[in-house]
Amino acid sequence: MYELLIIGGGPGGVAAGIYAARKRIPAAIVAESFGGQSIVSADVQNWVGTKSVSGFELAKMLEEHLRAQEGIVIVDEDTVSAVVDKGDHFVATTAKGQTIEARRLLIASGSRRRKLGVPGEKELDGRGVAYCSTCDAPIFKGKTVAVVGGGNAGLEAVLDLLPYAEKIYLLEYGESPKGDAVTLAKIKADPKVEIITMAATNAILGGKTVTGLRYEDRRTKEKKELSLGGVFVEIGAIPNADFVKGLVELNSLGEIIVDHKTQRASHPRIWAVGDVSDVLYKQNNISAGDAVKAILNIAEEMAKGSL
Amino acid sequence: MDTANVKKASVKMYTTPTCVYCKMTKEFFTKNKVEYSEVNVAEDDAAREEMIQKSGQLGVPVIDVNGEIFIGFDKKGLSEALGIAG
Repeated sequence: MYELLIIGGGPGGVAAGIYAARKRIPAAIVAESFGGQSIVSADVQNWVGTKSVSGFELAKMLEEHLRAQEGIVIVDEDTVSAVVDKGDHFVATTAKGQTIEARRLLIASGSRRRKLGVPGEKELDGRGVAYCSTCDAPIFKGKTVAVVGGGNAGLEAVLDLLPYAEKIYLLEYGESPKGDAVTLAKIKADPKVEIITMAATNAILGGKTVTGLRYEDRRTKEKKELSLGGVFVEIGAIPNADFVKGLVELNSLGEIIVDHKTQRASHPRIWAVGDVSDVLYKQNNISAGDAVKAILNIAEEMAKGSL
Repeated sequence: MDTANVKKASVKMYTTPTCVYCKMTKEFFTKNKVEYSEVNVAEDDAAREEMIQKSGQLGVPVIDVNGEIFIGFDKKGLSEALGIAG
């Protein structure tokens, strides 16, 4: 039985692990991998204390820092799939079938990519439907492509594609792309890019590979088609909170509602940090800081002798 | 680990320089002493076409192990194909 089980290996989970070890809290951490969602970023320039680092290197730094701690049990390449509350402790079951018992949970399981859920998306995944522009942009050299989603991730996908693609459509569901003004200005200045707003993507078309996309113009209700060689989907994230549904309160987005002073969820022995929580800003530095806050609160609670 | 099997395999990787899953796969190969050749499909147009023809994939990494195609960092599949003990 552990005093604390940390779930997740992103900046939140790793920061929690480091602080838990330093506070000598008997803890285990379950992580499928380390580094979180930034691992695919080509260049992270806002990790405080580091001018520029690739997501891959950042992941290594985080993992090494965690592994340098004494007294924390690391269960890697596994995820927690279910949690049962036994009244004074939890029993967590992992995807590989391990069971881990702990008095408290710190959930730092992050979020996963939201998919469009339209016909053709699944069938053409990897065959022109792409989710990692950093990885795959060069493969679309000379092609016409669409990026669905006008948030920061969508705008960055356009930037990744600019050196390679012949033409890039940016499809935004709302009235205007919501990403950073600086990036948007850069994109707008490039004649290769055409921004289509109020566009609801209905289907991705293709046979062996992607040949196009169908969308509805939300202003006129007109159905339109684009002829394409690829579609990059960047429409946000879904919090990984499925395994604690019913144990804690979630908001309408499926995020764990926490007290932002302590990171404690609606359950007295569950804390949540980072993208899985209802934190307003999803940032590596914030996830790490919130995890520190949670561990200090847990340590304080333990010192008081409360559960 | 059956290292004899590992060395016999012909392993060809199709990658891009910015692809993190390619890096993970390469580290996995290095750790397990798998010899491999690598082509950068961001630069090499012919290799990119070859990859798309072979795999139907417009994504990296694609790994050809003795003619068997693996997509992404498929640790389990690659381990089985290369006789690497998990």
